[in-house]
Amino acid sequence: MSIKEKVPVTILTGFLGSGKTTLLNRILSEEHGKRIAVIENEYGEVGIDQGLVINADEEVFEMSNGCICCTVRGDLIRVLGNLMKRRDKFDYVLVETTGLADPGPVAQTFFMDEEISSEFTLDGIVTLVDAAHIDQQLGRSDESSEQVAFADVLVLNKTDLVSDDALNTLESRLRDMNRMTRIIRAENAKVPIETVLNLSAFDLDQILKRRPTFLEPEYPFEWTGVYDLDAGKYELMLEEGPDPEMSLVALANQGESEEELKDGAESSVRLYAEKANSLDPGNTIPYGEHINLKLEDKGNKSFILNIEKPTKIGLFTQHTAEEFNMKVIKSDENKEIPFSTERFWQAEHEHDDEVGSIAIERFGDVDPEKLNTWMGRLLSEKGVDIFRTKGFISYSGNPRRIVFQGVHMLFTAQPDKEWGNEPRRNQLVFIGRNLNEKEMQEGFDKCLI
Amino acid sequence: MPDIEPFSPRGMFHEGWTAEVNDYAIACGWALKGKQFIVGDVAGGLFSFEGDTGKIIWKKENTHSGGLLAMAIHPEGEIFATSGQDGNVQICNCHEGKVIKTLDLGKGWVEHLKWSNDGLFIAIASSKKVYVFNEIGEEKWISEDHPSTVSAITWSNKNELATACYGRVTFFDIVNNKTNQKLEWQGSLVSMELSPDGDIVACGSQDNSVHFWRRSTGMDAEMTGYPGKPSHLSFDDSGKLLATSGSERITVWSFIGNGPEGTMPGELCHHTEPISSLAFSNKGMLVASGSRDGSVVASFLKNDGNGDPVGAAFAGDLVGAISWRPDDCALAAVNAKGVVNVWKFKVRTNLFSKGFK
Repeated sequence: MSIKEKVPVTILTGFLGSGKTTLLNRILSEEHGKRIAVIENEYGEVGIDQGLVINADEEVFEMSNGCICCTVRGDLIRVLGNLMKRRDKFDYVLVETTGLADPGPVAQTFFMDEEISSEFTLDGIVTLVDAAHIDQQLGRSDESSEQVAFADVLVLNKTDLVSDDALNTLESRLRDMNRMTRIIRAENAKVPIETVLNLSAFDLDQILKRRPTFLEPEYPFEWTGVYDLDAGKYELMLEEGPDPEMSLVALANQGESEEELKDGAESSVRLYAEKANSLDPGNTIPYGEHINLKLEDKGNKSFILNIEKPTKIGLFTQHTAEEFNMKVIKSDENKEIPFSTERFWQAEHEHDDEVGSIAIERFGDVDPEKLNTWMGRLLSEKGVDIFRTKGFISYSGNPRRIVFQGVHMLFTAQPDKEWGNEPRRNQLVFIGRNLNEKEMQEGFDKCLI
Repeated sequence: MPDIEPFSPRGMFHEGWTAEVNDYAIACGWALKGKQFIVGDVAGGLFSFEGDTGKIIWKKENTHSGGLLAMAIHPEGEIFATSGQDGNVQICNCHEGKVIKTLDLGKGWVEHLKWSNDGLFIAIASSKKVYVFNEIGEEKWISEDHPSTVSAITWSNKNELATACYGRVTFFDIVNNKTNQKLEWQGSLVSMELSPDGDIVACGSQDNSVHFWRRSTGMDAEMTGYPGKPSHLSFDDSGKLLATSGSERITVWSFIGNGPEGTMPGELCHHTEPISSLAFSNKGMLVASGSRDGSVVASFLKNDGNGDPVGAAFAGDLVGAISWRPDDCALAAVNAKGVVNVWKFKVRTNLFSKGFK
């Protein structure tokens, strides 16, 4: 075969009004040194001057064998087939789908058609959602939940139209549906270009280099409050709540931006992984430690926070402040200090949506034969409902990690880096509709040695 | 660039001439009974060369904004038509390349052009519609919308046109404006060829198979097992053999006797990468094949579809199109780098049929 760089392709999905065209125009007008060819399925909104724009009607071609994974997009095969003869004119392709497009056939086109896959590589699927309307859309149509399920990046757009609380709730809902996606909040589709292009989202080596895990963390805490405090002594007051105890991590110098909150959350996740030290009322809360507040006594309980110099304290609590009517009070003035920012994480997953993610994480090795049999059966029985699969596996006797991914029933597995001294483990994520988590976990456990 | 080493013409291929066009060459053909050779590139450049020497006669650039998609030379060889992404068809004269008539079919890509065998009509496929015009560019017939973009068109006789699209082949009587026959098959048909007598319909399908129908009996058959989709098909002039692409091998189905159903096809393994163009000689059982690896091979076939190479040459890069000169005494190949190669070829059809029987 001739050694040629394959042209990366980004697929842009999202309902009408979610801001796809705004994002597209933004990408095209920004200086990024790329010459982008655009295949547009919704007519007429992209400025014609902006390079190579081709309009095409969506044509979904099912095959006679009835296999859903063989379904491809005829229009893309045709247009890309022509574009591959004009390689000197562009170095990137963006495909904008219609609002109602099923991303499955679009993605499968890049695996099923040899001529396309020899010249192009699917870089990633970017889905825009309109923060103000996605809740209703998810309830009404399969397409919108499938677009969320297939996304490597979800741009939560029009955040200016929605309250922070609603955004946090929405983000949790989307995260439940697709735990391997990256969620980016945006107003007016304003996102850094590098968060949507050149993701190599289908190149597992690349992903694993950037992110040691496919999974976005599930937070073991529900709430964060950031308190802007002067030097002095403070009390953390809690009333009776749903539990006789509550885990907490207090961090000093906690910023209030979304990014800083997520950084804080990540540190806290690590601290939460350590064993908690119990703390009885009246004692001082240490910073940067996982502690367990003892709350068995009736009435108000208070714990001490010592502040040596003015700082912002972040409290990452297992339950929400409201559930215990938790307050921070400046001791000498007996005055309540309200939080300056709060953030809900919604650790508990209530799977309301039909579409969801199932993650399986296990230490140890699997028997390759058993795994193949299990996966083969799972995908043949449930392949229609399993939209995407990603993961890595530790095969017994194989010094290398096996990484794999799939779209519906299409499935590739390849050896990756050597395990070395790392503990051998397995991590699989399935995103699909009406998947039975318990059954799948049990099925996987039987493949373990 | 291809992996294989360049090599000099071998066997029945002999050095001829080479030339260059501006971009990826996608279409070519012989005009004026082999005196002229016309090449179209993807950017819309058209180049006319002297058939014997390769000397440039005329050239034009940017004939279709957005790019050229198809070219078809009239059977008499005096005029030709081109089409492109601009939704236009141009009918030009071969001598100077002058546009005689421009047909504006709207904004869809015009991807396929076919002159009828007697040259009275030209069929044109654009998106879901097919149009028929006469030689001087007068509209004679328009189809209804097909279920999908039309992927292939071909004439079955002087008034009957076959079209292929997702799920079906349809035969239209374009003079009386009626549908003669519909052959249905749930699959995306990507290519279509008819046997010279018009009875056998062969289509390559997106699901890596070739589907046949026999119009006279209504029987159909599916030939599976291709590694890739058979985008290129060619019948020999007697209608006995059908050569198909779909991998680096040429798979040849023989329609002699009860075949090809239940028979093993002939297989020709001459190339290292998938076949990118395929053409039987105008007369006889010679098939020429061009590959992504840049090699061009001519093979002489037996009745069972197997055969041996009789000559080979290197075209330098992915072979975009090949074309036998009308007398089969030269073969032309154009490639993805815009290089044109014409080799002399000594056919000796009569000797073959005696010598190999």
